Amino acid sequence: MAEYSCLIVEDSPMMRQLLVFALARLKNLRVTEADDGVDGLRKLASTKYDVIITDINMPIMDGLKLVKRVRSDPVHKDTPIIIITTEGSQEDRQRALQLGANAYITKPIQAPQVIAKVKELLGIE
Amino acid sequence: MSDNEEQAAPSSEAPPEDLTKERDQFIQQFFRKGAQLTEELLKENERLQERIAALEAENGRLRAHVASDTAIRDLLRKIDELEAEKKSLLQRTAGQKDDDRFASHHAELEAELASLANLYVATSQLHSSSNVRNVLRNIKELLAQFLGAAKFGVYLASEDGKQLVAVASEGQNFADIATLAVDEKAIGRAFATGKLFYDEDNDVSKGTVEQPAAAVPMLIDGMPIGVIAVFGTLPQKTAFDHQDGELFRLLGTQAALALVSARLFTDADRKVPGVQAFLDLED
Repeated sequence: MAEYSCLIVEDSPMMRQLLVFALARLKNLRVTEADDGVDGLRKLASTKYDVIITDINMPIMDGLKLVKRVRSDPVHKDTPIIIITTEGSQEDRQRALQLGANAYITKPIQAPQVIAKVKELLGIE
Repeated sequence: MSDNEEQAAPSSEAPPEDLTKERDQFIQQFFRKGAQLTEELLKENERLQERIAALEAENGRLRAHVASDTAIRDLLRKIDELEAEKKSLLQRTAGQKDDDRFASHHAELEAELASLANLYVATSQLHSSSNVRNVLRNIKELLAQFLGAAKFGVYLASEDGKQLVAVASEGQNFADIATLAVDEKAIGRAFATGKLFYDEDNDVSKGTVEQPAAAVPMLIDGMPIGVIAVFGTLPQKTAFDHQDGELFRLLGTQAALALVSARLFTDADRKVPGVQAFLDLED
């Protein structure tokens, strides 16, 4: 069975824990957590992930900047990115998709929704 | 003319009358027999014609019967084929139903697991801090992220128990909701009775202060110390489900404990009581 890796970039410990719990259902997925965009880039500097999940609203570096930086990096430019948005932030969502994000999840987050998106982007049955 | 010719002459003479009569009788009888035979032959021919006609009719009937048998055999074969097809379809349908049941059961289990995960995360996060401000922040985040709450307030009861005083809020002008009376409306009733209320009939994203989406009594040992009031939810969150109900119940018991524990810990200068304090338990 192929092994996959996922980077979660989210400033809220509660949301991170929820995402980690949701993705724990995928046994062949290794999850790494980052507190914000800068922490995310730090982890991306040393590791190549199969999928990135990032919140949009974060301190220090938000999700939009992170998406832009990832897409301009030759190593990570093709890595699938899922953004987490709220229903009211359609502009952010559009902007993130224009910058190269592959999919989005709307809050409040539902575990089955997260699992389905990750499986879809990784091509897992 | 020779002698022989002369001798033969007497033979050409007319035959005797009796011979002539006999000859005529023979000829008449011969012709009669011939006519009779002809008549019999014609009758036999007619009989044979009838027999041929009967046999042809019988042949036609038999041919029709054979054709009918062939049609029946064809029909029976077709019925067998259709039966086999029906059996195959029924098996496939049964398989499909099994698949559907399995998928439905799997989805239920996944939802249940997600619900349990939410409850676990909510509990652990509520008790992850011993600081009142952080506990309130966690309550607010839980309400927003897990329940889709957009407008809400966290209330504690005043000393006399007649008013509910907001200690945190979101999405609402604080001055408008700073205090609420303990009256007969949903929020006051939830506090007075200790019973959870959440709107199951209306679009909860359109809730108001007067008609809140939910009122969650915060309990310690079954005693209400305050209320979490959800005035309205995010536009996409139009109804609360069973999972939300479980989260509300968890909030009702765990949020109060987390808040009071954090307050008491702060009052105790963040000092953990010595072991003797636990050995000298009075309750």
